[in-house]
Amino acid sequence: MGEAIVITSGKGGVGKTTTTANLGTALALQGKKVCLVDTDIGLRNLDVILGLENRIIYDLVDVVEGRCKIHQALIKDKRVDDKLFLLPAAQTTDKNAVTPEQMKSLVEELKRDYDYVLIDCPAGIEQGYRNAVAGADHAIVVTTPEISAVRDADRIIGLLEQEEITAPKLIINRIRQHMMKSGDTLDVNEITTHLSIDLLGIIVDSEGVISSSNKGEPIVMDPANKASLGYRNIARRILGESVPLMAIQDEQRGMFSKLKALFSR
Amino acid sequence: MKKQLVNMKGTKDGFVLRLDDQCAYSDLVEELKKKVLEGGIDGKVDVQLYLGYRYCTDKQIDELIHIVQETEQLIVANVQSEVLTVHESNQKMIEGQQDTYIGVVRSGQILRSSGDIIIVGNVNPNGRVEAGGNVYVLGKLKGIAHAGVQGNKEAIIAASRFEATHIMIADQVEAMSDEHVKEINQAEMTCAFIGYDGRITYDQIHALKNIRPLLNVSKGGS
Repeated sequence: MGEAIVITSGKGGVGKTTTTANLGTALALQGKKVCLVDTDIGLRNLDVILGLENRIIYDLVDVVEGRCKIHQALIKDKRVDDKLFLLPAAQTTDKNAVTPEQMKSLVEELKRDYDYVLIDCPAGIEQGYRNAVAGADHAIVVTTPEISAVRDADRIIGLLEQEEITAPKLIINRIRQHMMKSGDTLDVNEITTHLSIDLLGIIVDSEGVISSSNKGEPIVMDPANKASLGYRNIARRILGESVPLMAIQDEQRGMFSKLKALFSR
Repeated sequence: MKKQLVNMKGTKDGFVLRLDDQCAYSDLVEELKKKVLEGGIDGKVDVQLYLGYRYCTDKQIDELIHIVQETEQLIVANVQSEVLTVHESNQKMIEGQQDTYIGVVRSGQILRSSGDIIIVGNVNPNGRVEAGGNVYVLGKLKGIAHAGVQGNKEAIIAASRFEATHIMIADQVEAMSDEHVKEINQAEMTCAFIGYDGRITYDQIHALKNIRPLLNVSKGGS
């Protein structure tokens, strides 16, 4: 019996779908059997980020309405051998096509065959959110170091705390090292104390994430990237390892500090 | 001699108008009208109205105050009565109750209590606390707090760190603009209350003992 984790944020555009794709891939790379479920019916993206768009035949609504079996709708990601599967959302209908009860039984069924079921939640707190949360055992809240995203995260944590799931965990996405250092954005500590939940990990901002998403290949496939390292660390923490938090530092050093380092040797 | 229905007495707290509590209300009104016109007082004087065991509606109390103040020499400082209706008594009891909430009041959440409420944790922006009595926050108050929802103007709001966006006490509303923020010393524990001018005022928490002495119900410490 696996675990179902919903990935949510409240605010749109903070990186829920990217996080789902990358965490799923990272967990699969660690040898776990993972199923990703896109619940953003009507505005599906997860298939695009994984580069599986052209292989969709059946979708979540087809499964729920009994037009096909679950295994017919699941798409296998061939890059990670037999470990990563996607249940895509429907694009032609809207979020009201599915009820929370239907989602719950669907996720129950998936949990039997997979170690991890990652549910990508749509933005907002309406029907789509309720569907996504219905079947989950755990929740991950994604936010960015912006006040608006943190406010919405606070709202969503309040709602999650009323559900029958474990205490939500936090991922702070898109950290810009130089801005956090200069105090132009909220820092990691401020955000975690404000939201007062456990921090699962941080992801530094990287242009590689955008380009790899556009290519349909999750960034975790590139082990050299810093954002990739963040996702891999989070995957290891989900598996129960204790991994220290990544240091937020700029590698670029000024002339003076280089000189200083030279003399202090 | 007929028994006097209205007595003016000087006590150590000032003049008290003692009104008989057994006679008919109409007789009382008549005699009060006569009595206050007798005069014999120079300048303006504060008086207290003592109703004894007579229950007067708010309208009747207003009428009595009006009669006394028509002389333009007597000013009613307060009205005292020995009786309460069952409704008022229940209301007081409910407002005297205390609720404790442990945790964070997050954005979009509303916490309600008919009496006082103690929050052990932060009240985050857009989180809202409403209490019939006082609001005490053992943490940061960064959201909205409303004390004395039923109209209790004596209610107060106290917080370890006072960074609220809106403060409401009874029917008074205050959006915390920059000048208010300046007024509050963030390093000190702060409380908000309705001051003499009828507007929301702030002070450090240790001043509360003098501002609302009746809040203190515990014994000892002397």
